[in-house]
This record gives sequence, C-alpha cells and structure tokens, in this order.
Amino acid sequence: MTSATPAPASGVPVGPGLSMFDPLFIGIDEFGQPVYLDVIYRNILAAGEPGGGKSGLLNNIAGTAALCDNTRLVLFDAKLVELGPWRDIADEFVGLDIDHGLNVLRRLLVVASNRYAWLLAHRRRKLAPTDGLSVIVTIIDELAMFSTVLGTKAQQEEFSTLLRGLVSLGRACGMPVVAATQRPSWDIIPASLRDLFGYRAAFRCTSLNSSNIILGQGWAEQGYTASDISPTNQGAAYLLAEGGVPRRIKAAYLTDADIYNIADYAAWIRRPAGARLDLGLAA
Amino acid sequence: MSKSSPRRFAGKSTGTVTVIEARVHRSSARRAKLAFILTAVIVGVLAAVVAASYWHPIVALIVGALIGVPCGAAAWLLVRIWPVLQRLWWWATEIVLAVLLLTAWVQLANHTSTVVMLLVVALVVGVPAAIPPVRRQVKAWAWCLIVRHRLRVCFAQFIIANQSGSLPLILWARPTPVGERVWVYLRPGLSAKDLEGRLDKIAVTCHASTVLIERASETNAAYLRFDIKRREVLDARVNSPLVDQIDPTAPVSASPLTVPTALDLPDVDVPTITLPAQGKPAAKKPTNSANGSTPAADTSSAPDDDVSDWI
Ligand SMILES: Nc1ncnc2c1ncn2[C@@H]1O[C@H](COP(=O)(O)OP(=O)(O)OP(=O)(O)O)[C@@H](O)[C@H]1O
Ligand SMILES: [Mg+2]
Repeated sequence: MTSATPAPASGVPVGPGLSMFDPLFIGIDEFGQPVYLDVIYRNILAAGEPGGGKSGLLNNIAGTAALCDNTRLVLFDAKLVELGPWRDIADEFVGLDIDHGLNVLRRLLVVASNRYAWLLAHRRRKLAPTDGLSVIVTIIDELAMFSTVLGTKAQQEEFSTLLRGLVSLGRACGMPVVAATQRPSWDIIPASLRDLFGYRAAFRCTSLNSSNIILGQGWAEQGYTASDISPTNQGAAYLLAEGGVPRRIKAAYLTDADIYNIADYAAWIRRPAGARLDLGLAA
Repeated sequence: MSKSSPRRFAGKSTGTVTVIEARVHRSSARRAKLAFILTAVIVGVLAAVVAASYWHPIVALIVGALIGVPCGAAAWLLVRIWPVLQRLWWWATEIVLAVLLLTAWVQLANHTSTVVMLLVVALVVGVPAAIPPVRRQVKAWAWCLIVRHRLRVCFAQFIIANQSGSLPLILWARPTPVGERVWVYLRPGLSAKDLEGRLDKIAVTCHASTVLIERASETNAAYLRFDIKRREVLDARVNSPLVDQIDPTAPVSASPLTVPTALDLPDVDVPTITLPAQGKPAAKKPTNSANGSTPAADTSSAPDDDVSDWI
C-alpha cells in the first residue's frame, strides 16, 4: 500500500547559513510536491489528537530554525523530551516552571515593543532580512499545559494574555510563534488567542467538530476534515496556509537520532567565536 | 423524481426505445423548427440584400430564398442530430483510439505474416504490462477517460440541473498521484455549493474514495476543478532534507541534566509533586488566597469568569 517516498529533498534550500526569511520545508502535499511555509511572518497552530504528529512538525521547524543564521529559539515544552534536544542552543527553554515561562513572555513582549519603536524610528513597518536583527522563534508544545494545567488560574490567564500579546505583535517584527495543542477548544485556549494564528495544521481528529475548531467553521462540510485521516497515518494533516484552502500534507519526519544529530551539529556551528578559535588552534 | 418523469413521457411514444429523453426530444423538435425559420429568414434576407445590388429586387428575393432555405434546412438538421453529435463528442477519444487500433490491426494483418503480427501485438501489450511505470501511466490515463464518463453520469442521473437538461461541459482530465483531476464548466442551474452536498455520491459513482471541488478560476464561478482521489500518497514516510545537510560527526553537546531517581510509583511520596499544579491539591488553596490572589480561583468557577473571552 505504501508508495515510494517522493524525493522532496531535491532543490530544497536548507542547510547551514540558511535564513528564517526563506520558506521553510515542512513536508509534501498529496501530489508529492514539497510544501513550504513562510514561518517568519505567520504564526502557526498545530492541533490534533494525541500521537497525531504535532511534535514532529514542531521539531521540523525547530531543526530548521536551529540551523538558521541569526535565529534565536525560545522553547516551551512541558513534556521536556519533545523540544528538549534543542535546549542547549535555545536562548530560553521553559519546562514545567510557569513563572519562568511568564518571565520569558514578558521579556519577549518588551523586545517586540522595542523593535516596533526601532522600526518606527527607521520609518518602516516590517522587519526585513537586511536589518540584521535576529529572528526570535517561539515554539510552544502542549500549549494546554501552560494555559490550563500548570500554575494557578491567575498565572494561566496571564500566560494566555501575554501569549496573545506576543502572537499579535510578533508577526511583523521577526518574532513568530509556533504552538501545538491537542484540542484548541474554548476551554483550552481562548478563542481570541486561537484566532490570531494565521496558519493551521489539523492533524488527525476524532470528529468533524474538532477539525472545524482547528481549521475554522465550515471546512468539514466542504470535505476538508481531519477526521478522515487514518489513525495509523501519523504526520498527515490538513494545512491551512496560502491559497486559502486546506491542503493535505504529510510532515517530514525526524527520528530521535536525527533530531539529536541536528541539535549537536547546530550547537557546533553556533559555538561562540572564542570556542572556535580554541578548537582551531587545538586542531 | 428525475427518473420517473422521463419514463412517463416515454410511455406515450409508441414503444420505441429512444436514446433521447422525451422532454429533450420534444424541445429539440421545437428548437429545430425555430432554427430552420431563423436561419432561413436571416440568411435569405442577407442574401437578397446583397443580390439586390446586382439584379432586379424580385430576382434578388428568389435568390435569397434559394440560399436561405437550404441553410435553414442545414440548421434544422444540425439541431435534430445534435444529441447524436453530442454522444459522438463524448466518446470522441475512444472512437479515435478504436479507429487507430483497428487500422493498425488491419494494416498489420494485410502486410505481415501472422508470426510478425503476433510478435508486434505481444510487444505492444507486453511491454506496458511488464514495465510497472508504463503500466501505471496507461492505467492512469485510462481512468481519466473513464472518470469523465462517470462524472457525466453523475450530472445526468442525480444532479438536477436546469429545465433544458443541458449537462455541464466536462473538459479535460489528467492523472494526479492520487487519482484524477477533471476540469468542468458548469451550465446555468448549478453551482459549486450545490455540488458540495453530493461529493459522497460523486465519489461512489466515480469508484473513488473521495472527491473535492475547487474553483479553477478566481473570476469565473462556473469553472471548477474536480479532484478525484482513489489512492493515498501521504502514507509514505517523508524524510527531512535537514538530515543530509548536517555533519553527523559534530561533537555531542549536552548540558548536564539532573536526572531524577524516583522513577516508579512507590518511590514517590504524596506531597513531593514536581508539577507545580495548584488547581488540584486542596491543601494548597488556603495559602493561595492568603497570598492575595482571588479566593474564587478554583476550577468550579471556570465558566463564569470572562465568558465572552473564552467562547
Ligand atoms: N511525519 C511523520 N511521519 C511518520 N511518523 C510520524 C510523523 N510524525 C509523527 N510520527 C509518529 O507518530 C508518533 C507520535 O508523534 P508526535 O509525538 O509528534 O505526536 P503528538 O501529536 O505530538 O502527540 P502528543 O499530543 O501526545 O504530544 C511518533 O512517535 C512517530 O512514530
Ligand atoms: Mg507532542
């Protein structure tokens, strides 16, 4: 039944020295064509049932960002293992500590407002690759842990509010947010936060309704429902991005070994200049 | 409903098996007459006007009539045999293919011996059958032919269109990795919305798993694209190109971690909770409210705070 894997790697611009301003490869569509996302100017929400492949998609994005030039990673992962491999190259890695998470979000918001002030001073409205400012990618796995489980109710609400601020501000100043959650219904994430995510990836869901919550009302009736993804086909999703119509995609898959190899290599190419010199002399 | 009415009309005609529905047939007769009169009059008058500049007006009128009537007759004939032409057009590809194959067969039979003929046939049939990519291509294009007919069956059988019974124009089809993609130009009386409710039936008629409809043109709502899916390409594993870009010999970098030792249930006592979850343990609630946070910060109060925001 399984057909041969198409070769998406041909002509895909990835590698060291890559920039977050380039389109980011995340997988193939149902016609076997590579699918790219403009992560930099969009926020992405991945959702779907447990084991659907959300963390796989997030790791793709984290891996590419890790290899990108002038890119900072801010990671939130209450499960520790999903984004943990990138903790050494991330500027911030938030595990189970919601206070830490709140502080990180507050810092990010200050950076965002400073960047807008900077853009204003330069008579511009949007960050460009030539500005030399770093891209700060915030990746949150299991958003629900921070918005409903960890900390007090007040902290959870503050987390949602700060995140809403970051999601709505970050887009044009090079601070995109990528988040994953199992079900983005109102009791998990406020609708006002959910609706700020421009790109949606719906991994397998159990009902038409859940799929509609992720992609938006009405898509299931038109035949675009993540409930028709086979439960054994992890990593397949409906992606609502450019074009306005959900596309079926299959996310690229990184094995654990791949992830750690990429993380090691990213740490190696990102090592401080001093360390480089030392090693150069030692070699 | 759409099935019973033609049957009633057909009952009136004297038992002859007509290919064409009675309703369509009747209106075709009327339209043929109209076409005859219109063409005869227009062509006749035009011809007479032109002829009048060369001959006497009466001669010109006769000439006009002589030219107009045959033209009208041609138009009448065209309208009357239109359904036949339509069917010929629907099957044009198959007819052309069949004619080509037969011609080739006859030519082979006439010009070569039986052995050569068998050899050629074996090659023509055997090579596609033996080489999987060629076989897949042939099969895919065959499905394209089939699916256009199946779509027409959908439109004719259960998608009620307009009064005159005109079917959408089923344009070209081409294979995709998952099935076929067919372009269709809708006639008045149908819209993409109408079709969306019947996707499952269309899929059944096309022997496919699912069908999707998309607009093929931003500016013209009549121009649609049907994506017929009968295969799945998304169950293969997709490798990430990142893997090829890295140097796997890079030194391992891992900051030291504090590894917990209590990895089994008996190892963990009740109060040592690593999750700072304060919603659940009842013992912690008083300290919470004492800290100044809202006293009603427990789960039961979730629905009534800021409802508008969470809907
Ligand atoms: N793109 C993919 N291709 C093939 N297999 C995949 C893909 N993505 C995920 N899988 C398989 O599915 C399993 C679960 O994936 P993943 O951990 O990403 O799910 P998840 O949606 O993050 O689940 P959870 O909600 O529990 O965090 C993986 O261990 C892997 O075996
Ligand atoms: Mg996960």
